[in-house]
Amino acid sequence: MANKQRTIKDKLRALSENIQRNFKLRSNILLAIILIVGFGAAICRLGYLQIFMADELQQKAVDQQLTDTTISAKRGTIYDANGKILATSASVWRVVLAPVYFENDEERRFVAEELSEILGIDEETIYEKSQAKLYYSEIKRKIESDTREKILELQDEMKEKDINPNVVFLMDDYKRYYPYGDLASSVIGFTGSDDQGLSGIEYQYDKELTGTPGRLITATNAQGTAMPFQYSQNIDAVDGHNLVLTIDETIQSIAEKYMEQAIEEHAVYNRGVCIIMDVNTGAVKAMASVGGFDLNDPYTLPESALEEIRKLPEEERAAAESAALSKMWRNKAVSDTYYPGSVFKMFTAAMGVEENLVDESSTFYCPGYYTVTGQTMHCHLRSGHGTQTFRESIKNSCNPAFMQQGEKIGTELFWQYYQAFGFSERTGIDLPGEANDIFFSEDGSMLPVNLATASFGQNFAVTPIQMATAVCSIANGGYIVQPHVVSQILDDEGNVYSTTSTEVKRQVISSETAALIADILEENAVSGSGKNGYVAGYRVAGKTGTSEKKNDSNGDGVDDYIASFCGFAPAENAEVVCLVFFDTPTGDAYYGSQVAAPVFAQIMSEVLPYLQVATQYTEEELAQLDTIAGTYVGLSVSDAQTAASADGFTTSVKGSGDTVLAQVPGAGTPIPQGGNVVLYTDEDSAKTQIEMPDLTGYTVYDVNYLCSLYDINISITGATDSYLCTATSQSIPAGTMVSPGTLVTVNFTAGGFSD
Amino acid sequence: MKQRSFLSTSTSPDRAYLRNFSAQAGAVPQRRTSSASKKKKENKFKLFAVGLGIDMPFLITVILLLTIGIIMMFSASYPVALAEKGNSYYYLGRQLLFACIGLVVMTIASYFNYHTFYRLTWLICGVAVLLLIVVLFVPSETGIHRWIDIGFTDLQPSEIAKFAVIVFFAYWGTKYQDKMKYMKYSLIPGMIVFVGVALLLFFEPHYSCIVIMFCLVLFMLWFAGMSPVYFVAIIGLAVAAFVIAKATGLLGYAMERMDGWGQALIYTTDEMWDATWQTRNSLYAIGSGGLTGLGLGNSRQKYLYLPEPQNDFVFAIVCEELGFIWAAIILCLFGVLVWRGIYISQRSGDTFGKLLGCGLSAQIGLQVVLNILVITDWLPNTGISLPFFSYGGSSLIMLLAQMGIVLSVSRTSRIEKV
Repeated sequence: MANKQRTIKDKLRALSENIQRNFKLRSNILLAIILIVGFGAAICRLGYLQIFMADELQQKAVDQQLTDTTISAKRGTIYDANGKILATSASVWRVVLAPVYFENDEERRFVAEELSEILGIDEETIYEKSQAKLYYSEIKRKIESDTREKILELQDEMKEKDINPNVVFLMDDYKRYYPYGDLASSVIGFTGSDDQGLSGIEYQYDKELTGTPGRLITATNAQGTAMPFQYSQNIDAVDGHNLVLTIDETIQSIAEKYMEQAIEEHAVYNRGVCIIMDVNTGAVKAMASVGGFDLNDPYTLPESALEEIRKLPEEERAAAESAALSKMWRNKAVSDTYYPGSVFKMFTAAMGVEENLVDESSTFYCPGYYTVTGQTMHCHLRSGHGTQTFRESIKNSCNPAFMQQGEKIGTELFWQYYQAFGFSERTGIDLPGEANDIFFSEDGSMLPVNLATASFGQNFAVTPIQMATAVCSIANGGYIVQPHVVSQILDDEGNVYSTTSTEVKRQVISSETAALIADILEENAVSGSGKNGYVAGYRVAGKTGTSEKKNDSNGDGVDDYIASFCGFAPAENAEVVCLVFFDTPTGDAYYGSQVAAPVFAQIMSEVLPYLQVATQYTEEELAQLDTIAGTYVGLSVSDAQTAASADGFTTSVKGSGDTVLAQVPGAGTPIPQGGNVVLYTDEDSAKTQIEMPDLTGYTVYDVNYLCSLYDINISITGATDSYLCTATSQSIPAGTMVSPGTLVTVNFTAGGFSD
Repeated sequence: MKQRSFLSTSTSPDRAYLRNFSAQAGAVPQRRTSSASKKKKENKFKLFAVGLGIDMPFLITVILLLTIGIIMMFSASYPVALAEKGNSYYYLGRQLLFACIGLVVMTIASYFNYHTFYRLTWLICGVAVLLLIVVLFVPSETGIHRWIDIGFTDLQPSEIAKFAVIVFFAYWGTKYQDKMKYMKYSLIPGMIVFVGVALLLFFEPHYSCIVIMFCLVLFMLWFAGMSPVYFVAIIGLAVAAFVIAKATGLLGYAMERMDGWGQALIYTTDEMWDATWQTRNSLYAIGSGGLTGLGLGNSRQKYLYLPEPQNDFVFAIVCEELGFIWAAIILCLFGVLVWRGIYISQRSGDTFGKLLGCGLSAQIGLQVVLNILVITDWLPNTGISLPFFSYGGSSLIMLLAQMGIVLSVSRTSRIEKV
């Protein structure tokens, strides 16, 4: 071993000496080291970076070289049925910081201070953002053009200060704007901070409305200015589609106006719903959940709600606030269920007729109650309706009569028709958050007592839209149509992208059955329990409903009621269905006939003329028909009197002049026949003012008398067929100073507790 | 004739070398004349083959690298030239001027009798040391004292120092060629020179040049014939130091201190992001090039992402535009240059020529390798330029002058002349 070691040592020493002596060997060894180790390492390293790391490094290089700017797509506009803009997007801007271009702290401080002043954001927050090595850091969104001007000025100032102007830049943005504020708020819905739809149509049609944001990819050098090489790509933003709704702003406004009035009048606790639908197409012309909210400011609660929240202990307020907000945003028409009450009797009646179980000759006896499997249920008329025909039972809205009809129909058929009328399934309306009905069981099985209550619309719940859709089938000859709120989708150039066509799902009842029920409902609206829903000149059909909710949401110690009315017009060849319901009226009146029917009448009396539904007056009505006042101004007093009486008006002359200087009501105003036109002949008399009297509570006769005393013209709406009808509202509030001859519309409601 | 007079007055070991040299110098042309008088006559008419003739492969490689270098420097520099100087051709124009001056200097140097450097060794060393000291007192905004403004360009004393070190050890190795096996004549003077120069460079500071100096001194001692045992010991020590540094975490600390060396892609702090900016963008450029590159002139990283792309990081842009294949070919060209330089020098007629030529050639290889390792983040980013490619007046002129000296050595070299 030692020998061997020595030989190795010797060999090494010899090699060492050889190297030392031999220059060529030495230099070749170093050359080899340089070439193999040195250059070898260099080439390997480059190869590793350029082949194996190439993709990753190139990606990183491209990331910094390319400025990828998102170009916001304009969110589509929402139009009403007549092209009025309900929701649109207006140009605004967003302020973006590219802090990577800052060169020193001085610049950061300067920009932070200036931006803080312009945008009203904390300076330190901006300063902190300015320290990140980022090309894109949002400072503020949705600034308006005046703020934009200030930012542009700041950019100029920065240029003067030699600060890279790319540090602060503006990007196009859009802000959602709702011209009508709270109109149809729960239907239209609103958008969030990223322009995403959060509720209503904005949510349902978010994909169509959103469009595709574009991208502007530009190669930029490290200073953020364009780089002269072919690497820029511009993908245009595709603006969102526009929606045309079936909702008509005019009709919606009418509905909301009267709903709001009634909600105030009857101190309705849980809002109210009005749905107006085209019976043949299922197009929803108005859908109001009143009170609504301002779509431009959806996070602000009404003062009354805020007050209640302030009363709560600190820790409960946040929860209460969000609950109040979601209640406010909720589209009651599709998301809430309610006991339909007596309105449902029209379906029970239709089932019986369709199955030939009842007919016009059938009679029902009502002693004031009815007993099913030992359980006694009372009629709203405790004394009983006695013996009634089928027709009368509907007009009386008699519960015992309908329990008997329900018994005839039986559980199985009832469930089949319940399904057929569409109560067991969602209507599939193009709105979010549609609720399911609540029935006694999933499969329709129920106890006899359930059937009994169900036959007059109690103890099961449906949504207002289900009810409106089902009533359409009574009105249109038995067809269930698909309700919808969007009629057309237009692309950003206005071309029609898609159109919602009428979809008839099925026929539930024969047209004969439908016609019979419609006829009875028309009679009901004239002389039955629904007479408060009567609209003169239009053959209105309808049914009231009052249902108990069996809970007490407002804590007044009384079970909540729902007052509703659902009807359509004209009774034959119906055009529109209108459903009105009020959730928990807390005033003196709570019956559908008292609360909902007059509102139905008010709404329909404006909507039907607007829709140009042909009028069909009774002779009596014709006699009272309004006549348009002519122009009497400029005529001599005698000529004017002659002309007015030719038009069917009486006249009263004020002043001592010879010529008529002014007239009240003005030319073109419809005045009931026999109305009084006041002619003013001098300037003093024209200034005369009288105080509008309080007409509410008086009968038609009394009101007429009062108005003739006051020289006031009246237009009468609502139920006036009996002396029990009293004025419940007037278009000009009492106490207002008006000129003699002014026309006031007075609404009358039948008294009594008929349901 | 001068040499002869020098010879007569000298009594030092120099005399022996010069006697030897003059014999060779005399012998070579004689042998040539005697062996092929016709060939000599032909040589006279060749452009660069005047006298004893220079090595054409080496010259061609130099010209090739210089041409590619200037083109690539221009390609890399025009955006930054436009941005900073308002003239895309700013660096190109100046570099071309320096190249012309450099080529003239190279031609002159190739005719210059390199043996003169033997006598001028101490003068050169003195000047180099003086410049290294002077540069420390040149006012500088950045606190880095590396350049002396000499009017049309800046002079880097470290360039002179590198040359001086090579000349010194060529001189030393010639003078004491028989005693190089003793530590006293090899390792000790080597350490003294290195420590002295390193100290001066430390104050500049110019750490990368210290690394180059260390390698140069090692190379020169190796060429001069220091016992391989010492190298084994030195390399062993270096490896041990590296292992210890790595084990104790000192290396990581040092890497972080040295501008985030090796951490360009894994920066964690904003300071690190700033510090590694240049290296990171160099890596982006190299990686973006891939195998075949983006095409000449198509670099994106030169658009102000990679700072000073005309200087040390020019090869990153080369890699980006030409791709790995061409980068490797260019590196091979450098390899050819180093090989040819050493090949020429090995066949030089005298020890001084051998040492001088090998030293100058090896220095090119060293610079190239270190530069590539810097731009690829394997070495700290401390300013090692790439010969022929990086922009710089004094260094290019100096480089070409040194190439001229190698060519001058080639005149006495026993190699096939074209």
